[in-house]
Amino acid sequence: MSDFDFIVVGAGPAGSSAAIRLATAGSSVLLVERADPPGSKAVSGGILWGRDLDGLIPDWEKSAPVERYIDFKSTSFLTRDSKISIDFRSKKFEEKKTGYSVLRAKLDQFLALKAKAAGATLVTGITVDSLARKENRIVGVVQDGDTITSDAVILAEGANPRVAIESGLREPLRDRDCAIGIKQIVKLSEATVNERFNLTGNSGYAGEFALGYLEGGVRAGGFLYTNKDSLSIGVVIAMENLRANGSTYSYDIMEKFMEHPYVKPLVEGGRVQEYSAHLVPEGGIDSMPKLFGDGYLIAGDSASMTFSNGMIIQGMNYAIASGAMAADSLLEAAKKKDFSGAALSSYQDRLEHSQVLMDLRKFRGIDKVTWSRLVHEVAPGMMENILFSMFYEDGNPKKHLAEIILGSLSKANMKRSELIMETYRMLRRM
Amino acid sequence: MEVEEKLALLNYKTDPSYAHITVKPSICDVCPDHFCTFACPAKCYQLIEGKLNFKYEDCVECGTCIIACSHDSVTWTNPKGGQGIKYKFG
Amino acid sequence: MALEIVVMVKQVPDSQEVVIDPVTMNLNRSLTRNVTNKADENALEAALQLRDEVGGHVTVVSMGPPQAESTMIECLARGADRAILVSDRFFGGADTYPTGLTVASAISKLEKVDVIFAGEESSDSSTGHVGPGVAEFLGMEQATYVSSVKYADGFIIAERELEDGTEVIKMPTPVLLTILLNANVPRRQTLKRKIAATKQGYEVWNLEKLGMPPEWVGVRGSPTIVRKMRPIKEKERAAKRFEIDQIPDLVRELFEIGALKLEEMQ
Repeated sequence: MSDFDFIVVGAGPAGSSAAIRLATAGSSVLLVERADPPGSKAVSGGILWGRDLDGLIPDWEKSAPVERYIDFKSTSFLTRDSKISIDFRSKKFEEKKTGYSVLRAKLDQFLALKAKAAGATLVTGITVDSLARKENRIVGVVQDGDTITSDAVILAEGANPRVAIESGLREPLRDRDCAIGIKQIVKLSEATVNERFNLTGNSGYAGEFALGYLEGGVRAGGFLYTNKDSLSIGVVIAMENLRANGSTYSYDIMEKFMEHPYVKPLVEGGRVQEYSAHLVPEGGIDSMPKLFGDGYLIAGDSASMTFSNGMIIQGMNYAIASGAMAADSLLEAAKKKDFSGAALSSYQDRLEHSQVLMDLRKFRGIDKVTWSRLVHEVAPGMMENILFSMFYEDGNPKKHLAEIILGSLSKANMKRSELIMETYRMLRRM
Repeated sequence: MEVEEKLALLNYKTDPSYAHITVKPSICDVCPDHFCTFACPAKCYQLIEGKLNFKYEDCVECGTCIIACSHDSVTWTNPKGGQGIKYKFG
Repeated sequence: MALEIVVMVKQVPDSQEVVIDPVTMNLNRSLTRNVTNKADENALEAALQLRDEVGGHVTVVSMGPPQAESTMIECLARGADRAILVSDRFFGGADTYPTGLTVASAISKLEKVDVIFAGEESSDSSTGHVGPGVAEFLGMEQATYVSSVKYADGFIIAERELEDGTEVIKMPTPVLLTILLNANVPRRQTLKRKIAATKQGYEVWNLEKLGMPPEWVGVRGSPTIVRKMRPIKEKERAAKRFEIDQIPDLVRELFEIGALKLEEMQ
C-alpha cells in the first residue's frame, strides 16, 4: 500500500493542474513544492494564453488573480534608432478573452490552494531530493532519507528540472534547449499604465520585440506586458549566441532594452520593484525528453513544452494542459492498476492529439527562425531602410516601393539568394 | 540601475548552512572563457584579480550557470526547502 | 522524567517585505506575506532539543488569525507534538497585555507545564513583553535573553547573554524562558513530518474555550492607546578622516558640536 496514490513534484501551473484533476477524481495526491509559498520561486514573462483552466476551475476568470486581459498585441523590431511594429488591437478580444497578464507569485498560490481545496495534500517549503525506485520503476520520492511512496509520480518541476535530470529521466540541458530570461517588474500607477499604452478598463498590452541593435552577434528578444499597476518587462537571451560572443553580460542586455529610445518613455518614472531571472525552454520538440516511463510522467516546462514564434510566447497554457492530461492518464491507468510505461503511454497519445504536441511538431525548428540572423539583424535593418526611404522627404523625385526594396536589398548585409532562402524558410516554419 | 541595486530589492531566505551551488576551483582557475561571469544574471560569478569568485547567496535559482559552464565545474542542487529566493511577483 | 514543554510562537509579516503606507503609517499588509517569527523558531528548536534530551512533549501555542495555519503546520513539521492556535475575532487588536493574558489562559488549560519557551521578541512589534507577561500571569519564574538551556533533577540551568557577560542561572521548574534570536540553528522541516503534520492538523481554541470575559481580550482589553504615529527623520551622517597627529583637532571639533563634554570630577 502506497502512502499516496500519486505524488506531484512542483506546484506550478502544470503540477497544480494535475493535482486538481487527480484530487477532484477522488485520488489521494501529494503536491510537494520547494517554494514557500508556491509561486515565490516562479518567473514567467507573464501572459497566460488560452482557456485551458476552463476544464479545471470553472470560474477561474472571476476568481483567479489575473491582471489584465490582452486586447492589444504588438510585435516590434527594434534597431538602434527605430521601431517597426505590427500592432493588432481588437474589440473582439473583449468578448472572447484569450490572454491575461499574470504574476506567478499570485497565480501559483491560487492554483495550489485550488488543489488543496480539491483534496490534495499540499506541502510547501520542502525540496524533493530524488525519486524512489523499485526494480527500475519510480515508486515515490525521497526527501532527507525518508521515502514517500505512490503508484506514480508526475514531475512538474519547471524549466530547471533537477530531480528529472539527476534521476536520468531527462538529459542535462544544453545551450539550444534554453534561453536566459531576465525580467523586471516596474511599478507605475494604474492611470499611467492606461495612458501610456492607450488602455481602458482592465484591457492590457502584450508586446514582443526583436532586439536588432545588439552588437557582436548577441541575440535577444524583449517583452513588455502590462499588469494592473505595473509592467512586466524583460529579455530572453539565446545562450548559444551569448556564448559565441563571449564578452557581453546577460544583465546588461536587460538595461539595453530598457534604454532603447522607444522603450524608455514607456517605463520612465517607474520604480523597479523586482528583478528576476529564469530559464526559458526553447528547443521545442527537439529538446523534449521521453515523457513517460514506469511509474512517472513529465509535464510542463520540465518537458520543454513552450512555444515561441517571436510574435507570441506560450508555456503556461501547455503546462496546464499537459498537467491535466498527465492526470487523466494516471486516472485511466488506475482503473487497471497498471502504472507501467506501456500503460502510461496514453499520456503521449493524449498530447499528440492535443494542441501541445501538434503545435510543437508543426513548429519544429521554429527556434532556428526566431533566433536567426535574418530576424534579428537583417530584416530590422532592411525594414528600417525601406520605411525611412519611404517617409523621408528629401526633395528628390520619389521612387516606387519596388525600387526602394531592391535598393535596401542590395544594402542588406546578406547575399540576395541567402536572403530569399532564409525568408522562405522563415515563412514556411512560421 | 546596477545589478547589485536590483538584487538588493529581493527577498532572500539565505541558508547559511547549505550552498546549493558549488564550483570546483581547480577547474575555474584554469578556465579559458569564464562564460559563467557573462551568463549569470545575478552576478554571482565574478572575476576578481583574474580569479573566479562565486557566491551562492545572491543566486536567484535560474539554472543558467549549469548550462553556461561547459567545463563541468558547476554542481547545481535546489536549495533546501523554503530557503533561497522568495519572489513577490514572479 | 518527561517534561511538558510549551513554545509560544507568533506569525509575523516577513520583515524583508514590510511596506509602510506613507499616509496611514500602518503596515501595508496586502503586499506582505507572513512567516514564523525568527526568534520563535529558535525557541522551538531549544524546546525540541530539550525534549529530545530529557524526553517529554512539545506543545506549540500561538495567538493569531486563521492564516497562522502555515506556522502551526511548520512547527509540527519541525518536530512539535501538538499545536494550538488561539484564534477568535474577539482577540483582534490586542496589545501585549491581553495577548499575554490570553496566551497564559490557554497555557493554563493544559494539564501540566514544566517549561515555557518564547522568542526574545517578535520582529513586528519588538516589545519583548508577551513572554515575561505570560510568566507573571501564570505566577511562574522567568529568565529572559537565554542562549542555552539544560535540565537536571527538576532544575533548568540557563545561560543568559547580558551586556556585560554571560549569566548562568539555575531555576526550579515550572519556568518560562525567552530565547535569543539565532541562539541555535533551527532544524529543517522534513517532507515526512510535514505530511504527518498536515494530516494531524492543529487545534483551534476560541474565546469560549478559554472562558475569558470578552472585555479582557483583544482591543477592549488593551490599555495602550496609540495617539499618533510619525516617521523618524533619519539623522544626517557625515564622515571625516583624521590622521593620528590631528587628534587634537578631532577632540576640538567634537567639543564644538557638543558630542564631547567635560564633566567635573567630584
